[in-house]
Amino acid sequence: MEKFTKLYLKCIKIAIAGAMAYRLNFILSTLLATILNALFPLVTILIYNAGASFPGWGFHEVLLIQGIFLLTNSLAALMFDGVLWSSMSHIREGTFEIVLLKPLPPLSFLIATSFTPEIFGGVVAGVILFSVSLSFTGIAGAIAIFQFLVMFAGGFSVITGLYMMMAAMSFKWVGNSRLTEIFDSIMTFGKYPASIFPSAIRGIATFIIPVAMIGFFPASALLGRAEGVMFLAVIPCLLFMLLGIWIYNKMIRLYEGVGG
Amino acid sequence: MIIKINKLEKTFTTYKRGSGFKAALKSLIRREKVIIKAVDEISFEIPHGEICGLLGPNGAGKSTIIKMLCGALFPTGGEINVAGFNPAKERTRYVKEIGAVFGQKSQLIWDIPPVDSFSMNKAIYGIETAVFNERLAELTALLDVAEVINKPTRVLSLGERMKCEFIMAMLHNPKIVFLDEPTIGLDVIAKANIRDFITKMNKKGTTFILTTHDLEDVELLAGRIIIINHGKKVFDGSLEALKSELGRKKIVELKLLMAAEKIDIKGVSVSERTSRLELILEVDMDIISIGEFVSELSKQAEFTDISIKELPMDKIITAIYKKGSKA
Repeated sequence: MEKFTKLYLKCIKIAIAGAMAYRLNFILSTLLATILNALFPLVTILIYNAGASFPGWGFHEVLLIQGIFLLTNSLAALMFDGVLWSSMSHIREGTFEIVLLKPLPPLSFLIATSFTPEIFGGVVAGVILFSVSLSFTGIAGAIAIFQFLVMFAGGFSVITGLYMMMAAMSFKWVGNSRLTEIFDSIMTFGKYPASIFPSAIRGIATFIIPVAMIGFFPASALLGRAEGVMFLAVIPCLLFMLLGIWIYNKMIRLYEGVGG
Repeated sequence: MIIKINKLEKTFTTYKRGSGFKAALKSLIRREKVIIKAVDEISFEIPHGEICGLLGPNGAGKSTIIKMLCGALFPTGGEINVAGFNPAKERTRYVKEIGAVFGQKSQLIWDIPPVDSFSMNKAIYGIETAVFNERLAELTALLDVAEVINKPTRVLSLGERMKCEFIMAMLHNPKIVFLDEPTIGLDVIAKANIRDFITKMNKKGTTFILTTHDLEDVELLAGRIIIINHGKKVFDGSLEALKSELGRKKIVELKLLMAAEKIDIKGVSVSERTSRLELILEVDMDIISIGEFVSELSKQAEFTDISIKELPMDKIITAIYKKGSKA
């Protein structure tokens, strides 16, 4: 693990240096990512400006959900978005052998070498949105912070799992850039208060594909509205991540021709 | 023996696809399975310190064998042992012992100087800083790229990049290095540099397995040649043995003073008539010696120029490929 951390830090430096090689591109894409992501709660703003609301949730409270959602999502993308794209391009160009030549588990190597600094803008936008909305809503207390951190980690593992599944699918569904759109729409259910969805969808978003953990649950925790069922949902979150990793590794085994 | 493979097999399952709209629709519902034997019961052993050339036409199964030897692909059957490891099964430990250069797949990171890619490998392989620096200095001196490695990879010429690929593959001091078409697309000088480097590293004890379509690579580097065709081994032996595979023959290019009606010498055949006065003959040395041939020739024809050559490699290789196809 220590060796991996060392490698990861080295690769982050290399990735940043690589991104800096095209300075204008880096500045523009970071700026664009910040602006586009900051526009993400636009629908919510429109809804509340029109005098409507999500039942039981104030404007800034919904923004808090979305700030957390954006922050979790960008942090995960910073680390794992590159795994998806480099898996895809390795498979399509037939260069996955290069990955298999390294004395590391393929997934570790890909995570280490595909840090994507361009996504940093999303993290910045997430931090801004999160802190601004938090300054309006306030925090329910020290326990709420602890609860938030647990759920934030849960949400992070759900997205990690989703990325792993997407990357795994790219082994069979070569070169399909639509993959991310499907997962984006699945994640939509974490962006809004779960109370607006029918109970069946709420159940799925809590225990099957626990996307509610990406924004809604941690925000509830910070506001002191956490319920027992939300803590229970941390377990499927971790399972979801493990499942994603398992599927990805399974795909690599298939690529290596085990039993094929 | 550093490499031992015994009755190695690899089969792939693909699906038959017809052409046209009707076949495409049909294939959506039912696909016909086709099993392809890419590698068919191949056995060989390679001793430590050898340079072995793996030859074969496109699609013969060379790359599949290299992938299995590198641990990137599980064999369907047979035994495989490289440097004491079962490559695919013990992959993460095994690949520390090997290096690989693929002429068509770069391991360097495109936007940054090679030296940064090297330092990434240093972290990946856990190479000690002192060892790394010494090794890097040695390799860059041998390949004469001390300045090149500080420029971004994307601005390097193909030759310079290829040299850096070799450094990337050999920094961790592998016992055995697999080269898949390492000289493809290089100019004469770059090719010579790379070959020189391979020879020098081989003298220091590195074993090389080389696939190539460049017969000069084979003649200048490989002490041992294995030819694969249709997944089967069709030749295994030294360069000398390969050259005598079609019999001991020489090629004679002849420029005549006058058009001769016919040259009739035992063991000699006309293989090509390039113009009215120019001929290419094939002389079978098992039937007639070169001395006898020349004296016999001067009796039958007057000539202004003569050159005697070895049977060219491509002719031998072509004959072996074709023989393999019939079998």
